Amino acid sequence: MTAAADHLSAAAPPRRFRLADPSMILWIAMIAILIFLIASPMVRLVVSSFQDPETGRLTWANYIEAYGRARHLQALWNTLVFGAGVAVLACLFGVPLAWAISRTDMPAKTFVRLMVFGAFIIPPYLGAIGWILLAGPNAGWLNKLWIALTGADHGIFNVYSMTGLIVVVAVTSFPYVFVFTSSALDLVSSEMEDAANILGAGTLRTTFRVTLPLVLPAIVGGLIISFLEAIALFGAPALIALPARFQVVSTQLWQFFEYPVRVEQAAAYAMPLLLITIFMFWVQRTVLGRRGYTTVSGKGGERRITRLGSWRWVMLGYALFVCALAVFLPMLVLTQAAFAKAWGRGFSIGNLSLQNFRYLLFEQTQAQQAIVNTFVYSGITAFAAIGLSLAIAYVVARKLVPWSNVLAFLCMAPFVIPGIVLAIGFYAAYAPPPLALYGTGTILVLAYVTRFLPIAYTSSAAGMRSVNPEMEEAVRILGGGRLTAIRRVLAPLLKRNLAGAWILVFIPAARELSSAIFLVGPNTRVISVMLFDLSEEGNFEVLAALGIILLVVTLVIAAIGFKAIGRDFMVRSS
Amino acid sequence: MAHISRRDVLTTGSALALTALGTRNAFAREVTPRQKELYEFAKKEGEVTWYTAHSNDTTAQALGRDFEAAFPGIKANVVRTTAQVAYQRLTQEQRANAMQVDVFSSTDIGHYVALKEKSLLEKYIPDNAGKLIEVYKNYDPDGYFTVTSAGLIGIGYNTEKLKEADAPKNWSDLTDPKWKDKIALGHPGFSGYVGTWVVTLKKLYGWDFFEKLAKNNPQIGRSINDTVTMLNAGERIVAGSGPNGTAMESAAKGNPLAMIYPVDGSVLIIAPTGIPKGVKHPNAAKLFVEYLLTVEASQIWVEHFNESMRPEVKALNGAKSAADVKTIRPSVEEITKGIPEVIKQWRDTFGV
Repeated sequence: MTAAADHLSAAAPPRRFRLADPSMILWIAMIAILIFLIASPMVRLVVSSFQDPETGRLTWANYIEAYGRARHLQALWNTLVFGAGVAVLACLFGVPLAWAISRTDMPAKTFVRLMVFGAFIIPPYLGAIGWILLAGPNAGWLNKLWIALTGADHGIFNVYSMTGLIVVVAVTSFPYVFVFTSSALDLVSSEMEDAANILGAGTLRTTFRVTLPLVLPAIVGGLIISFLEAIALFGAPALIALPARFQVVSTQLWQFFEYPVRVEQAAAYAMPLLLITIFMFWVQRTVLGRRGYTTVSGKGGERRITRLGSWRWVMLGYALFVCALAVFLPMLVLTQAAFAKAWGRGFSIGNLSLQNFRYLLFEQTQAQQAIVNTFVYSGITAFAAIGLSLAIAYVVARKLVPWSNVLAFLCMAPFVIPGIVLAIGFYAAYAPPPLALYGTGTILVLAYVTRFLPIAYTSSAAGMRSVNPEMEEAVRILGGGRLTAIRRVLAPLLKRNLAGAWILVFIPAARELSSAIFLVGPNTRVISVMLFDLSEEGNFEVLAALGIILLVVTLVIAAIGFKAIGRDFMVRSS
Repeated sequence: MAHISRRDVLTTGSALALTALGTRNAFAREVTPRQKELYEFAKKEGEVTWYTAHSNDTTAQALGRDFEAAFPGIKANVVRTTAQVAYQRLTQEQRANAMQVDVFSSTDIGHYVALKEKSLLEKYIPDNAGKLIEVYKNYDPDGYFTVTSAGLIGIGYNTEKLKEADAPKNWSDLTDPKWKDKIALGHPGFSGYVGTWVVTLKKLYGWDFFEKLAKNNPQIGRSINDTVTMLNAGERIVAGSGPNGTAMESAAKGNPLAMIYPVDGSVLIIAPTGIPKGVKHPNAAKLFVEYLLTVEASQIWVEHFNESMRPEVKALNGAKSAADVKTIRPSVEEITKGIPEVIKQWRDTFGV
């Protein structure tokens, strides 16, 4: 630190006027970047939905075209049913698990928590492939098992149905509910529960009448996130809804990009997704935000564990059931397919093969590059999103510019933009000249940064709040500029926090499909898009092998992160 | 032509061993002066990007690898996808004025007619175009696109679950209620093969055929190749739109599959290749189109059970070629007008 001290004392005296601070240029640049990343594509999207593609004049024609067909309206309705189903099911999976881990003496908690993290890493479209192999109506493993056990002439599960789609997506999105709920539960002190106990309420009654209502806002938050995630998904619905013969909004949007490309109609058709999402957030903020749950304060009070007695085995059974649906079963069949000559032939030594991996790594011309692209883009995205969000969180926390709350709002705004809608906005705004970013890695990274900025910002802002301004004021009194203060004081203090955020951005970026599918070119393909192309021709063995590669590399990177920052970061930092 | 005899020896081996054969005898190839000249310029461009719907991924990759072996120093980026998705990407690139594709191979011939009308194709008549089997010659006398691949669609079935005697013999048999929940199909909104198949059957039996087919609740994949997966898995028993090439290749690997050549005729798909205007690697693109028409490329097509483009290359032992069976196909005009129309009808009838 002596070098730093020398440097600081040699610097100019503290400045009085904020505007004179050279870092001001940087803040203005931040604002410009946010406008570039978020405001401009969205404005472009809304404007183009009202534009005639040929003349550019204002028109309602796109909306009339987009909503003029019963089929298109049906897809909209299907999306709502789908989203609601996923949200409810995700709560049924996520809330009990969160409660069990946070507040009970259920055994094997660490293991269950790891499995929930596993479910978070598995992308929904890969989970969907696993479930196609498990619950295909005739050849799915579970159905074959059922037929073998009962002698029935057909299976009982059909993944190619609305129910199938809802279950498949719910098992990949319940970790959101889990994380939200368990971090809230970790903050509820036991005083209220004690009061209920003293007044004669039993464990069950206390849990349902006191504990759960206290964390209701968190549960609803998780519910909304799973709903929004679901309606914005593209891969899983394309894999399951199409053979099941129904459409949802995202698959319908894809059709507008068929020849002739109708970006304007796609924009018009994307508007309900955007409006629903904004509405959801409004509900969350105004209806739930207003109710003051001061007991959930994060301070004071101790949290006691509820003793479940023999019920703790029942609880563990349920947790393992959820983990089986989300992780064990799909991973089992995907691994089998990845190492199989033909997945239909099942487990046998003769069916084992490394050919699928060899094909991908040495014969397929695109796979190597796609693997490298995926991790390079997600790595850059994670750094960029965190750098940007940290700078903005700083501006907002220190109120360096007027209306700094607008910046916070812009950072959180991508939360309300489904990936597929974001991609259409990016395509409309930045694919054509003058920027001409179509087919470049840049447009993918920019879209990813935008898409995951809210995650990065939430972490950065939380970290910023935890740092007392006095520490950097000390730097400034000694003559250091704001940038020095950030580099030498804030960044080291927030290191752990930011590393957690890095992983939280990296993982979803590595598996992102919805926005990538519209923006990749042949040299910028990523694993998710390649998986999607392979799924198109039903090439499940090679696809499973590529999926395994994606998961293994992601896990290795996450494991390094875990080692660096401690295993429970997921619960703490979100 | 010593390499052909070597090839003949190899073709009697298993198809698996052949696909693993990565490098080929480069010096024995026929290389025209034009190709040599193109190669010199193409080397400076360094790569070529090929969007193709002509085959499954394995076959497309084998062609790309063989091209790289024949012309060292030029990387072939092979992007295999369905015809309509490939076309969607192409039009998206043209709209954004950011061409990524160099060579565009679709199975929907209508794409080329539309692109040519809008002057979005580069004119190029390959030297090798004159050496093709007669039926594939001169599809576009103006030289904006050239036929580079052909394949058959018949009815595939799973031999473990169905005896040949019980399998459908003709297209109209597919509407029999006994096939309810047993048929797999591709989707014309994605696959050019399926699009042409729908146009052909609509011409034969009217849209009524598809209304009846929909009642049998077929499973609808995207690519025509997906139907083969569904048969292999035992998920479905009959591939209503069965791609001969992928099915035969899969059967050669030991999967329980066989093809029916319908009495009315198998649908013959003629699939062209063209170079879009404004591509980044024009010389490599031309060289690649020439390559697709070489004897070597035809040998790879045949190894993967597609049609040969060159009279020198015959079908593998036991495989039937378009020359051996009755084939039917619509005219270019019928396809061009028909496919966009049947995609809409399909969506209304099948819901997706």
